[in-house]
This record gives sequence, C-alpha cells and structure tokens, in this order.
Amino acid sequence: MMGLFQDLLTTFNFIVQGLWVTISVTAVALTVGFTIGVVMAIARVYGHPALQTAVSAYSVVIRAVPVIVIIFILFFVISRYVNLSPFWAGALALGFASGAYQTEIFRGAIQAVQSGQMIAARAIGMSRLQAIQSIVLPQALRLALPAWGNEATLVLKDSTLVFAVGVPEILRRAQQVSARTFEPFLAFGVALLLYLALTLITTQALQWIERRYRLQV
Amino acid sequence: MTSPILRIEDVHKSYGSLHVLKGVSLTVQPREVVVLVGPSGSGKSTLLRCINLLNPPTKGRIWLEDQEITAPGVNQDRVRQRIGMVFQEFNLFTHLTALGNVMIGLIKVRKMRKNEARDLAMFELERVGLADRAHYYPAQLSGGQKQRVAIARALGMDPHVMLFDEPTSALDPELTGEVLAVMQKLAGEGMTMIVVSHEMGFARQVANRVVFMEGGVVVEEGTPQHMFEQPTHERTRAFLRNIMQ
Ligand SMILES: Nc1ncnc2c1ncn2[C@@H]1O[C@H](COP(=O)(O)OP(=O)(O)O)[C@@H](O)[C@H]1O
Ligand SMILES: [Mg+2]
Repeated sequence: MMGLFQDLLTTFNFIVQGLWVTISVTAVALTVGFTIGVVMAIARVYGHPALQTAVSAYSVVIRAVPVIVIIFILFFVISRYVNLSPFWAGALALGFASGAYQTEIFRGAIQAVQSGQMIAARAIGMSRLQAIQSIVLPQALRLALPAWGNEATLVLKDSTLVFAVGVPEILRRAQQVSARTFEPFLAFGVALLLYLALTLITTQALQWIERRYRLQV
Repeated sequence: MTSPILRIEDVHKSYGSLHVLKGVSLTVQPREVVVLVGPSGSGKSTLLRCINLLNPPTKGRIWLEDQEITAPGVNQDRVRQRIGMVFQEFNLFTHLTALGNVMIGLIKVRKMRKNEARDLAMFELERVGLADRAHYYPAQLSGGQKQRVAIARALGMDPHVMLFDEPTSALDPELTGEVLAVMQKLAGEGMTMIVVSHEMGFARQVANRVVFMEGGVVVEEGTPQHMFEQPTHERTRAFLRNIMQ
C-alpha cells in the first residue's frame, strides 16, 4: 500500500512538471491564434477583395491540413532557416492552425453585429478603423466567446501533439514514466486527470467571463 | 439675409442601375426646421445619407456652411461629426450603457478626457431627460428612452445640423410624444433640423418648411400652412390627405 502511494507520488511529481509546458504551449498557441484570427477576420470582412481572397485561402488550406503536419513543417523545414526550439515550433504551429479556426469564429461574430452599429458609429464621425475598434469588435468578441471557449479546449487537447517533436509536456512525460516503471495505468491515469482538471478549469473560467460580459439584447 | 447652413445642389444617387435620387436641390437656413415627407421608397433616407456622406451622392454638390463637403479630399469623418443623425431603429451601441453611448464619441472622436466626457455626456442626457437612466444598457430602456439617448449621443458631438430619419416610426404610439417633445425643445433652442417624419402634428407646430418628395425628386415645398391647406400640386394634396387619413 505504501509502495503504491510512493509510486503514485513519484509518477505524479514527474508528470506534473509537464503541466506548465502544456499550459505554456496552449497559451502561446491561443494568443497567436487569437491575433491571427482577429486580424484576418477584420481583413476578411472589411478588407480589399484581394485581401479577402488571400485570407480565405489561408483559412481553407490550414484547416485542410492535419495539425501535426504543420508542426512537422515548422520543426523539420522552417527551423532549418530560422532558429526554432521544439517548444516554439510546436506552439507556433498550433497557433497558426488555431488562427485559421479563430478567423472563422471572429468572422462569423463580426458579421453577426448589426450593420446599424457601424453606421451609427460612422455617423458620429468615427473612422472605419475607430468604429471597428470601439464598436464592432467589443460586440463581436462577446458574441464569439462560446465558440472561442470551445476552440480553447480543443487547442489545449491538441497541445499534446507537440509531444511528437520532443517537447516535455504532460503526455510525453507520462510516456517516459511508463516506459521506466512499466506502470502505464498509473502514468496515463495521472495524465488523464491533469488534462481533465485543466479543461474543467478553463471551461469554468470562460463561462464566468461569458456571464460577466454577456451582451444584453 | 443670412447665408444658408446647408445647400444641396442637383444631387443624384444611384445604386447600380437603380436611379434613386434624380436631381434634388434644397437649401436650409440656420435654425430652420425642415420636415421631409413622401411615400416609402421615394428616396428620403437616401437623401439624408447623402447629406452626411454615409452614402455620398453619385452626382451633384453639397455645401455645409461655407465648405463644399462633396469636394474631393474632404475629411468625411469631420463632416459627419458636424451633422448629427438619428435613426429609425435607434442603433444604440448595445455593449455600452446610455452614458457610454454618449461618451464614446466624445472620447474617440472629440478626444476629450474621460472625466470631461462624462460630465458633458451627463449634461446631454439631462437635456433629453434621462440623467436617471445613465447606467442602463439599451436593452433595459424603452423605445422612447432609446431614441432620446440616441439624440443625446448625436448632440454630444456638437452638431451644426441634425438629421432625423423617421425617429418615431419604430415606437409604440404612446412613446412618440416624449421623443417629439425633445425634438421640439431642440428646435426651440435654435437647432437646424431636417426631419423625415409623417407626424403631421409635429410638422404643423414645429416645421418652418415642409418638403414633399416623390420618385427621387422634390415635388413641392412650402410652409406647413401652404402645404397642408393649398398645395399647388395634386400629388402633394393626395399624399398629405392620405397620411392625415
Ligand atoms: N443601400 C442600398 N442599395 C440598394 N438600393 C437601395 C439602398 N438604399 C436604398 N435603396 C433603394 O432606394 C430606394 C429609396 O430608398 P429610401 O431612400 O430608403 O426611401 P425612403 O426613405 O423614402 O423610404 C428604394 O427603392 C430602396 O430600395
Ligand atoms: Mg426611409
């Protein structure tokens, strides 16, 4: 009994060090994806037709490719030319992928903001950019929150993929422990619980934000 | 004789092949209240949107005070700031309180500091009788209150002319009075106004001039008395008789 507890503690202590890596990869990916998503969605809705086409193309291509392929391209191809650690190759790849999905999320949200909002903003003398910044985006971001929360949990789960290029996140560490101790049940059990905890905390936090900033219609 | 505040000269507007305004000319003097009437689709909204350059005319020229605003190179955002507009559907910013709706233009466009903007916004809300609703969101306001906030929002920009596009058409009948009262008060303070409205009581009491549009042209204009009692054109007579039942 004492032995099992010891095993569990050692296993947990080893794997939990990957928790921070998982959180960092997810945070970087979501931030990059958010930036890409917002900028591209604005370009997609308000940009020059040529720009709109370019953005659609990006979004279609990226979404058609498995995320792991993008990770490999960054890690094996791009990192020959730019100095990219496995962590950054993985996190950026996830960010580019998520950016395509977030583009669609924010595009839908921007288009869901009533056209009268933009017109009223222009009527008081705001420039297009000011109207987008101060009126359309704040509303679109609120409308996008449920879909964005869903995307956030997907990215959190996809973050395990960086394991393939050797980033020591939760799953990678679980696999290492299990290879050493021959106790896969313990190792992957701990990994499962950590992911579960992360996802639940994320969902709860997002739901709180959603309630806090809900648009009254 | 003062110089006109607004001069519209042979304005045309087409949407693709649809020729909506077919040469509208109109001159408005400072402090004048012009009520614009006409059947649905005659181009009244289009004319207002031409005036504040939300949809610039395809042909023709417009002067605001001594500036030709249809001239190339004019800063259209600055022009819109000087022309307030109130919409049928209110179009209040849904993510902002009543106070926030009035403040945002003061901060972003007039570049006021937050405190200064808050004070002026409160003053404008008081002007429309809604100081006690400052912290309500649009969804928590009645239609009449929303429209009064929209008026306060426009007034905050210190406009030289106010355009109203059917400001009471989306309201329940019992709520139109409070909005018309605010507009009447504004007129009394000397605001220059162009009002698209079929509120004939308002036109009789407040308007200096009634303009009848049909099919993208001004058919006839005159004092309310002339227009209601002895219009020259049969079309004017028929239309006005119709809307007064
Ligand atoms: N943005 C637009 N694009 C195309 N057609 C328009 C647009 N706005 C108005 N129209 C058309 O122009 C005509 C006049 O419309 P409008 O100015 O709204 O008339 P009114 O306000 O007098 O009812 C209508 O036939 C309408 O369908
Ligand atoms: Mg109209």
